[in-house]
Amino acid sequence: MANNKKYWSGLDELDGTEAFKEIQAKEFQEQIPVDQFLADERHSSTTTGRRDFLKFMGFSLTAATLAACETPVIKSIPYTNKPAEITPGVANYYASTYYDGMDYSNVLVKTREGRPIFIKGNTSTGIGAGKVNSRVIGSVMSLYDKARLDGPTQNGNSTTWDDLDNAMSAAVSGTGRTVVLSNTIVSPSTVKAIEALGAEHVQYDAISYSALRMAQADAFGVNAVPSYHFSKAEVIVSIAADFLNSWLSSTLYAPDYALLRGPERGKQSKHFQFESAMTMTGTNADVRTMIKPSEEGKVAAGLLAALKGATVSNLDAGVIKSINAAAKSLNSSKGKSLVVAGSNDLATQTIVAAINQQLGNYGSTLDLERPSMAYRGDDASVSDLVKDMNSGKISTLITYGCNPSYDLPNADAFNTGLAKVKTSVCMNGVADETAVRSTFVAPDHHYLESWNDLSLNSGRIDLVQPTIEPIFNTRAAQESFLNWSSSENSDWYTFLRRQYNASYTSDAMYSDSDWNSAIHDGTMTGNDSPESPEYTAAIDTTQAERKVASVKGGAFELVTYVKATAGSGNHAANPILQETPDPVSKVTWDNYVTMSKSDMDSMGLNTYIAQEDMGSVVKVTVNGKSVELPAFMQPGQKPGTLGIALGYGRGSNGENIGQAAFQTGEQGEHLTHASGLPMPIGANAYPLTSTSEGYTIYANYDVSIEATGAEYPLACTQIHNTYMGRESVVKETSFDSYLAEAGKKKGEASWNKAHRLNVHEDTNHDGVIDARDKKNTSAFDLWHSHPVEEVGHRWGMTIDLTTCTGCSACVTACNIENNVSVVGKDEVLRHRDMHWIRIDRYYASDFSLEKGDEEGVGVIDSYGRMEDPSENPQTVHMPMMCQHCNHAPCETVCPVAATTHSNEGLNQMTYNRCIGTRYCANNCPYKVRRFNWFNYKGYKKFEHVNPAHDSLARLILNPDVTVRARGVMEKCSMCVQRIQSGKLDAKKSGTPILDGQIETACAESCPSNAIKFGDLNDSGSEVRTISENNRAYHALEEIGVKPNVFYMTKVRNS
Amino acid sequence: MKKVFHVMYDDDEKLLVAARELVGKGIHVNEVFSPFPIHGIDPVIGIKRTRLAITSFMYAMTGLTIAVSFMWYTMISDWPMNIGGKPSFSLLENLPAFIPVTFEFSVLCAAHGMVITYLLRNGTLPGMPATNPDPRTTDNMFVMEITTDSNSMNAEELETAIKNTALFELSIKEIK
Amino acid sequence: MQRESAIREPLILGHKTYKDITDDVVGPIMGPAPLGWKIMITISSIIAIYGIGSILYLIGTGVGVWGLNKTVGWAWDITNFVWWVGIGHAGTLISAVLLLFRQKWRMAINRSAEAMTIFAVIMAAVFPGIHMGRIWLAYYVFPLPNQFGSIWVNFNSPLLWDVFAISTYFSVSLVFWYVGLIPDFATIRDRMVKPLPKKIYGILSFGWSGRAKHWNRFEELSLVLAGIATPLVFSVHSIVSMDFATSVVPGWHTTIFPPYFVSGAVFSGFAMVQTLLLVMRKAYKLEDYIHIKHVEYMNIVMIVTGSIVGVAYLTELFISWYSGVEYESYAFINRFSGPYSIAYWTMMTCNVISPQLFWFKKIRRSFVATFIISIVVNIGMWFERYVIIVTSLHRDYLPSSWGEFIPTATDVGIFIGTLGIFLTLFLTFTRFFPVLALNELKTILKSSGESYRNKQVK
Repeated sequence: MANNKKYWSGLDELDGTEAFKEIQAKEFQEQIPVDQFLADERHSSTTTGRRDFLKFMGFSLTAATLAACETPVIKSIPYTNKPAEITPGVANYYASTYYDGMDYSNVLVKTREGRPIFIKGNTSTGIGAGKVNSRVIGSVMSLYDKARLDGPTQNGNSTTWDDLDNAMSAAVSGTGRTVVLSNTIVSPSTVKAIEALGAEHVQYDAISYSALRMAQADAFGVNAVPSYHFSKAEVIVSIAADFLNSWLSSTLYAPDYALLRGPERGKQSKHFQFESAMTMTGTNADVRTMIKPSEEGKVAAGLLAALKGATVSNLDAGVIKSINAAAKSLNSSKGKSLVVAGSNDLATQTIVAAINQQLGNYGSTLDLERPSMAYRGDDASVSDLVKDMNSGKISTLITYGCNPSYDLPNADAFNTGLAKVKTSVCMNGVADETAVRSTFVAPDHHYLESWNDLSLNSGRIDLVQPTIEPIFNTRAAQESFLNWSSSENSDWYTFLRRQYNASYTSDAMYSDSDWNSAIHDGTMTGNDSPESPEYTAAIDTTQAERKVASVKGGAFELVTYVKATAGSGNHAANPILQETPDPVSKVTWDNYVTMSKSDMDSMGLNTYIAQEDMGSVVKVTVNGKSVELPAFMQPGQKPGTLGIALGYGRGSNGENIGQAAFQTGEQGEHLTHASGLPMPIGANAYPLTSTSEGYTIYANYDVSIEATGAEYPLACTQIHNTYMGRESVVKETSFDSYLAEAGKKKGEASWNKAHRLNVHEDTNHDGVIDARDKKNTSAFDLWHSHPVEEVGHRWGMTIDLTTCTGCSACVTACNIENNVSVVGKDEVLRHRDMHWIRIDRYYASDFSLEKGDEEGVGVIDSYGRMEDPSENPQTVHMPMMCQHCNHAPCETVCPVAATTHSNEGLNQMTYNRCIGTRYCANNCPYKVRRFNWFNYKGYKKFEHVNPAHDSLARLILNPDVTVRARGVMEKCSMCVQRIQSGKLDAKKSGTPILDGQIETACAESCPSNAIKFGDLNDSGSEVRTISENNRAYHALEEIGVKPNVFYMTKVRNS
Repeated sequence: MKKVFHVMYDDDEKLLVAARELVGKGIHVNEVFSPFPIHGIDPVIGIKRTRLAITSFMYAMTGLTIAVSFMWYTMISDWPMNIGGKPSFSLLENLPAFIPVTFEFSVLCAAHGMVITYLLRNGTLPGMPATNPDPRTTDNMFVMEITTDSNSMNAEELETAIKNTALFELSIKEIK
Repeated sequence: MQRESAIREPLILGHKTYKDITDDVVGPIMGPAPLGWKIMITISSIIAIYGIGSILYLIGTGVGVWGLNKTVGWAWDITNFVWWVGIGHAGTLISAVLLLFRQKWRMAINRSAEAMTIFAVIMAAVFPGIHMGRIWLAYYVFPLPNQFGSIWVNFNSPLLWDVFAISTYFSVSLVFWYVGLIPDFATIRDRMVKPLPKKIYGILSFGWSGRAKHWNRFEELSLVLAGIATPLVFSVHSIVSMDFATSVVPGWHTTIFPPYFVSGAVFSGFAMVQTLLLVMRKAYKLEDYIHIKHVEYMNIVMIVTGSIVGVAYLTELFISWYSGVEYESYAFINRFSGPYSIAYWTMMTCNVISPQLFWFKKIRRSFVATFIISIVVNIGMWFERYVIIVTSLHRDYLPSSWGEFIPTATDVGIFIGTLGIFLTLFLTFTRFFPVLALNELKTILKSSGESYRNKQVK
């Protein structure tokens, strides 16, 4: 140690005093109580040493880390005792029937592991073709609506069924009038159940047809809606009747109508349409004439006159011209024609009845022997009821299967009356407008949970059977009726069975073979009691003609119509239907005022709707009541008329009818009024209707409209209306020119010429090489491509543009079958709808490049004008999905080979390989690929619209189809899951796949069989035959992508 | 026991002249340190042309072979797929689609292979110590290195010979 | 020692010696950071951070935060990608092609131009990455054997060609640049007095000592690298253009694209070089090395490439009409008369009209005019890519799916952000790297240096 100095801490140390030594002895001034600590028993008893402690530390740390990385475990519980009929992974189908007071369909319910996931038409035993429409297909969604009531409620608070029953039995048996208000009940047993209650029964229909019925009663003594047979009608004249979409039982008419449209049989039905707003039916008409609603009666009268050979007056020349044309073709096919009118005006319907009688159509194209049991609602008695309620004459009101507080034209009066009723009970499944105003709510089962028997026509009973245990604590309405009545048997199922077998007891539950086969088919023959109408009785139309002639119209007239997706309002909370574009306007999630371009221009409203081009809001006022809605430019809309769809503006007082029923904003949040109430979608148009002679007229002949200056975004899936003269996209012709060249080989007829490209060789052997030397596109190929023919299956499709009505049933079916994400209004607004199949709707334009040449208009201007549809355009509906090209441009460009061609001709998408460069979508000429921009099933923006978000709605997802992850591309797979299962079935049965054994969701749901699916390499298959038909062509043939989807030239009988 | 002469010049041309002169006298110049390439010095002090270019060509060929054979293996041999109906039957038919990648990969190999060779051959690698006798040689000075052991002349003769040139500075080290 | 004609303008002004050159370049690096530099890097890095933030938001939420839709699947993302790649073409072109042509004026600019190239390519590489729906699976584009068994990549896809082209171009440019830097790092190393920087530059300089044999190899290497980099430069943008040229989209499906894109790339690259150099020469007092003659040379290149681009535009128009294909002709009519016609006319003015001004010597030899036009050209070239991508996509075959594209804040944010990152990188370069190629400049001092020149004249 270099340093030998010593430093003292003080003099004490230097002196080495005792005191200092003592202190120095112990380092610490105070004793640390180690001994006491160790002496403590509890410590000695513990076994945890330092090492253990560290082990625990280490373990817990690792455990925590691992837990953090672990993906959430979803438990799946196996059946402890498996139901005999359920095999996991195999679907069961149950025959049932859909009826909501409007649509009536025999359906097959597809269930997987005991949950219904898909509704399809019952084509084998259903009425007629047994087809369905968008609304019926979408109805499965409403089963999984978490807004459905869980048990009965009293004044909004939940109660027990017993309390409810006691209260109701007392009320029903007590003094004072008890009235059951319902939609038209077509179920014999339910009617009996209601009768058991011993109460008055008033029926009404959201969309009333009582005038039509009354006209039949006056003329032929049968107070019922006739049964229409469009399958026999070679000439159809429809005066504002949207019979393909919403008029009466349209699900039955659409397939029949299609039967006579295909020109191959050498004939084609001719369809005249007189209407104000462009309806789906109107877009399919051969001759469409624009009239004002106030002229509907005059047109009918004019038609009758024309048929009698008289001259038609007091209408526009154009209208008269088409009336005469219609009369001419009607006369030429007496007994094989049909005239229908949508109006609920007695005079009009009387005249129409007279026309049909004059043409001898009764008994052939429409009959009253077995009339429709539907639409027996009576406007008059409902208004009486409302009066009585307001004057306090009603003590108990039971509303069943209807929502009068919303859809009665005089709903306000009804509501005030309802408040005066002592005991009111509503049987709707959700706390809707009527339910919240009633004392009690006795929620009924969803139709997929309940038993019922329905009879649309005498002689036939269709059965409704449950396909799932009731999800909520609900009870069949009929059972409630029985409970509240004095009848000893209160079990609805037994009651129902006893209607068909009086001696039924629960022992015979499964042993009744008749019943079992009826349940299997979903139908049975009922006792047949045909009416005997007097078709020959002369109809005096003078009164009616005078009346219709006297109708005056104002500056603006309003028609209300029913949308293919919204129905009468009962589908408001159905996200899948809300996002299915309207077949005509292609607008989703919204309600709007349809107007003609000329009117909008004169009012200075925006006629071009796109992401940032918003609709201009207008205020439509009808004697005091007014609604504010965005205006939408609708080609084909009669100038001076407005159209507003019914069935919107549900839940306007914040009733919890389902979260999809309300407007969502840019972040997917529910938009709210200043009052804090959520904003309903659209506005309720029922109050805007008018009445004449006690009948509700779904139009108003004098309304005022003003621009509010406000703007409102409309989410439209197609913002461009015309096909810009691109003949290789859409090919159409008139029936006459078709007939002229019907015999020609494929690719030679002028209306379906094979696309030929110029080549630099003398192909026509005229010695010179010039513009006349051409070759078919098939002759051009860059490379020695993969074989296509005779290499096993080649799945393909044919789509007939002639019979496609644009109804969009295929779109809804595809969305449900393939778990297509619902993305909500804001995303659709950004042109990001996810639909795998869409229906391109093209309007004809007055202008063309040729016309431009003649008129000396420049090319640029010509193109500009070609973007505008004509005032009353012809319309083409073109279903467009992945064309499964054999030379798919999308496949070549994928860097990771995530989309490749299967050896069965499918263009297949490998989701888990996709990295989402979107190059394929850019390079797809048909723009059918869809990209998952967000995590739709998890991202908060979609919580109110996307079913995958809540645990209940998620049950609708098809377990056979992947729910696509964020950032991957998706597109039509031609329902590859169905192809695979079809192949498995064939394998099991050891037989080759028969044509039609496998069907895609779109083909299967198509009411008019326009879409057909099959194996193009099967020489006998229907698709193969059709693909060789001379109407068949490939869209965009000249770009040589060789699709497996064929389109059929549209033929119009104009 | 040898002597190392570091002859410093302040201009490349002076060095060049000097080098010629000394070499003319049969003196062997070991090495020249300069801040930039002095054109024309190589033949004087007997530096042969480098063969880097040839190596780069060999690398390119390797790259080309690898690229083509790999693409043949993946696209045609191992797992042929029907991609947009394009042929996946033989190398020849697919070749057009392979050209870009083949080219790029060849260039990749050529460039990188060559640079790596260059660095290794030079012994210039990350963190290597600098060996220039005087820091100024990377700035504006030019140094010629001459050693006794590589020359028949003795130190004195060399020194006089060097001194005759237009040198700027001379440093002499003795190494055991 | 080669000599050149006396009437030629000198490339190095002022009576420089070798020493001066070293001091002029190494001086700023050894000295403290100037205030202006500090301010600029602060600003640029703030922008960079904002951009990175936007990118993270995009990756966290989904590509939906951009304005893209079912019709327009690419817009700003790929526009920016092509724009940056284009800019990234000047550097290698200058140092490779001009080296082959023995253009001495390149030596003043090639170092910084190459740096710019590398940073631009880095920016470009960002976009193909983040435009993916699932960037975390980006490694799928490399032909790796994987857990899915024999799933290989698709060598038919132009996008995959891109992967190879861009990565090759980036790495080759990088080594080319670095090989040139090694001797200059050595110079700095030997000047440095502070120990740490000396150590760092020591590592960076790979122990370079400037031996004659090394110089001999060095020159060979530069020459050969230049030789293979030249076709590489042309191949890269040709391949980028094939992303469009090999598709079926009207307006993309054009055989003229490869040459058209390459000249466009050189055009925009030089514009960017001008923009940066004109600032740098002032900031770092390099007026003697980068002076009006260099600017004029580059302007001449811009006239040529600019005119090629102009001709390409017109050819496209003509062919669209001459082909008689209705989609093709409509696509182009829609370009100049449709909803996005503003973009088209911006492109036309900026890229075709503005460079023609360089025919006037006054403008060609004016720093201010050059700076302004270089900016204008950069804007124009961005719009060129926007026009090609968006206007072609938004109205293709089926009118039913004709759409529109409206950018979101995230679109803009990310683009601005990449500008910020780019500037940050470039500023870092100018601060710590030799901004001029010392060793090369010294070789031409005597042939093109002013003072020596005057000696010869005497």
